[in-house]
Amino acid sequence: MSATLPTAIGTVVIGGGVVGACVAGFLADEGQDVLVVDEGRGAGSSSNAGSLHVQMQSRFMRLYPENVPNMELQLPLYPKAVAFWRELAGSLNADFDLKMTGGLMVAESQDQLDFLGVKAKRERQLGLDVEILDRAQLDDIAPYFGPGIVGAELCANEGKLNPLLCNAAIRSWILARGVVLAEGVAVTGIARAGTGFAVTTTRGTVTAGRVVLAAGSGSRDLAAGLGLTIPAVAEPLHMNITEATAPLIGHLVQHADRMITLKQFGTGQIVIGGGWPARQDAPGGHPQVELASLIANASLAQHIVPSIGNLRIIRTWAGLNTSVDGMGVLGAVPAIPGLFVAIPGDAGYTLGPLSARLVADVMLGRKPGEDMAPFCPGRFR
Amino acid sequence: MSGFVIEFEGEPVQARAGESVAAALTAHGIRGFRVTRSTAERGVFCGMGVCQDCLVEVDGVPGKRACMTVVDRPLSIRRQRHGAALAPVSDALPPATIDELAVERPELLVIGAGPGGLSAAIAARKAGAEVVVLDERRSPGGQYFKPVAVAGDDIAPPDAQHREGLALVAQARAAGVVIRSGVSVWGAFQRLEFAATSDKGETRRYLPRAVVVATGAYERAWPVPGWELPGVMTTGAAQTLWRTARRLPGRRVLIAGNGPLNLQLAAELRSGGAEVVAVVEAAGPATRAPAAVAAMALASPGLVLDGLRYTGRCLTGGVPMLHDMVVSAVAQGPSGLQVTLAGSGATRVLETDVLCLGYGFEPSNELLRALGCRHDHDGTRLVTVRDADGQTSVAGVYALGDCTGLGGARVAAADGTLAGLAAAAGLGHAIGPELARLGRQAASAAQRHRRFQQALWNVYRAPALAIAQVPDDTMICRCEEVRFGAARAAIADGLSDAGSVKRATRIGMGPCQGRYCRPLLEALISDATGKAPDETSGFAPRPPFRPVTIRDLAGKP
Repeated sequence: MSATLPTAIGTVVIGGGVVGACVAGFLADEGQDVLVVDEGRGAGSSSNAGSLHVQMQSRFMRLYPENVPNMELQLPLYPKAVAFWRELAGSLNADFDLKMTGGLMVAESQDQLDFLGVKAKRERQLGLDVEILDRAQLDDIAPYFGPGIVGAELCANEGKLNPLLCNAAIRSWILARGVVLAEGVAVTGIARAGTGFAVTTTRGTVTAGRVVLAAGSGSRDLAAGLGLTIPAVAEPLHMNITEATAPLIGHLVQHADRMITLKQFGTGQIVIGGGWPARQDAPGGHPQVELASLIANASLAQHIVPSIGNLRIIRTWAGLNTSVDGMGVLGAVPAIPGLFVAIPGDAGYTLGPLSARLVADVMLGRKPGEDMAPFCPGRFR
Repeated sequence: MSGFVIEFEGEPVQARAGESVAAALTAHGIRGFRVTRSTAERGVFCGMGVCQDCLVEVDGVPGKRACMTVVDRPLSIRRQRHGAALAPVSDALPPATIDELAVERPELLVIGAGPGGLSAAIAARKAGAEVVVLDERRSPGGQYFKPVAVAGDDIAPPDAQHREGLALVAQARAAGVVIRSGVSVWGAFQRLEFAATSDKGETRRYLPRAVVVATGAYERAWPVPGWELPGVMTTGAAQTLWRTARRLPGRRVLIAGNGPLNLQLAAELRSGGAEVVAVVEAAGPATRAPAAVAAMALASPGLVLDGLRYTGRCLTGGVPMLHDMVVSAVAQGPSGLQVTLAGSGATRVLETDVLCLGYGFEPSNELLRALGCRHDHDGTRLVTVRDADGQTSVAGVYALGDCTGLGGARVAAADGTLAGLAAAAGLGHAIGPELARLGRQAASAAQRHRRFQQALWNVYRAPALAIAQVPDDTMICRCEEVRFGAARAAIADGLSDAGSVKRATRIGMGPCQGRYCRPLLEALISDATGKAPDETSGFAPRPPFRPVTIRDLAGKP
């Protein structure tokens, strides 16, 4: 929607993905005036593909071992975030195609199964509903794996949803609440002005009492302009989707030692991803898919679930994940009154609505019900 | 005649060796192929591998296009049902990486073996370049030549157009051009990297030093209520059935559209014994544009003679020519398709077995767009930015023919010669005096044929599709079964770009990848926003540009 930009408004939310849209919606639910500015279109973050992650992703543990303590710190938030998605579906009276079918992280060797065992023990201590299955137990609930799979970790808190349905419902909700949505508009700078801010965009300047940075890795440069450090990095990722087939893969499937996510939507289509790189030539530019990722990703999917070899991939795309230090950056910026940050962390879509709820609670002067100190945006130097 | 007995849903069907599954089944009156999510049947529509509506299961392998699957042995065919279960597979291959794909590094890669691609390959080869041509169809020649694929005493022999194609292919082979048929290029990535899969399921990477893209065009949508019904197909699809397999699309055929190809089809089908119910032309009769006809005759007397011959054969055969009318609706009646025609303030209904729609073309420019080549939008379609020698905005990428805008086979052939010479020169090959003369001849031929084409469009000038008049219950996205009403609702809801409407409505999310719905959606959005379409207003190009089977990427278990 190409709304005319107001010259002044209570709150400007920068970023119209699931996080920014939900922050705006929660504020508008309480009668606040909110403008959402998004460089892209359609108020849908480009990075989501519908996984509801809860268990620690082996990919992040391998890539960023130094972040594991932070991941553990945020872990209790994940099952709550999934529960919050269900709550949101209920309160919006929307069909998200949300299925709480649980997630399986499969292992192909005793070593990998041992790794999952250690991981599961830690996750259980942190309140997750996880168990280790051997091949026979696995076959009882998921009889579709290839011969190499020896067992899996089952996390009952995991699930999946269809982000297209979610984004559309969230968009309708915030528009109905009077949120002004400015799409295809880029923010070029933020300056402090009196007790508030002057937000400069490609369509003029807006003054606002409060600003929320909800632009994923794009928040980094905007924060830097205000002297705030947020070491958020963009991860361009490759995704694939097949044509429809009969219900086959109920779970969200991952691998203990290889990069993959596999899940089947209500449409019957199978979405294959899991962290294979896409290519981003310029920061802020559209990421492009890579042939190497397509081959490796598809081939790994067939290795794990051989029968999908006969399915056709009909589309690929590249999204952007945002990674910081294994943990979200959420809440008020102590040194800059009126500035807030809403970057959920590794599994941005899963954590999106709950993260937005927490930030909105802080802004509304409510108790968020979580200790926000670990997520403090002032923690970086 | 050599042939095979194939099975369709358990029933035996006599097929000719070399014809497509679509041709064999069509010849036996079978029109319903794919079964959609809503359990509707779909038939052969584009006939050239684009629309994905003729999907069948072949010997248990799902997702095969009947129009692209050649009968070369007894086959067991079933309808492809939407969301059908997969057969279990018990063994698995180890995960593969890109390093395990076969790699080819031809000096020059030409994509498309129509008149343009073949001419480019011949010219570049003569200049000393090592040339590999890839083409998706079983035999080279493209959509213009459509070579005869069947043999036998009862098979009508190749006509002059066929023979011209065979001669061009022979010339290419004699010059040392390597032509690989049955290879579909479905991916183009930065740094001139291409991915292609053969009809045997083998995937290769091509890393050429330069590329000539000559991928042609496909028919534009003519969205009217019922245009998705089995028995409604493009003019090109019907022509492919006749020219390659010598099969008729049906006994009674109604041909409607805009342009001379419809007349040619009418003449061809009549010679094959079909009853052409009528030829319905959106434009007025040529006598209304005498100056344009004269310009055509000056530029290319031969083609005008061809046109007169086609017209003559229709007239002497008693085929009604209905000018200034278009198809406005199609419905399935008890004894055939009921086709409503509208124009000049009147409507009439004709009954037919098959309706052919030929309302112009849309460039197949997805590889060029994926490579980052710049395009202009002329208000109707994208036109590739290129110089007179076919060089695009991306170094090493040359493009020509209908994929760059529209110009027809003769313009493509002349431009092909120019692009082939330019590509060879760019690769460091010297262009000697003889080749330079060939280039000058091609340049003047290209000019002449462009004049002809311009005059032809003047003769066939007709009102554009009135997108605002298309009824809400008309299908806009055939793959996902989404109707105009849903598109209009999304736009009314404030969505103002194709990507957002796609995500909200699923328009363009099916296996044809938005080829038919995209121009329609762009027109709706442009109407609503008042913003002229440009190279970014459609869907972003996303490989694979043809759906690709996972097994073919990953090795076969």
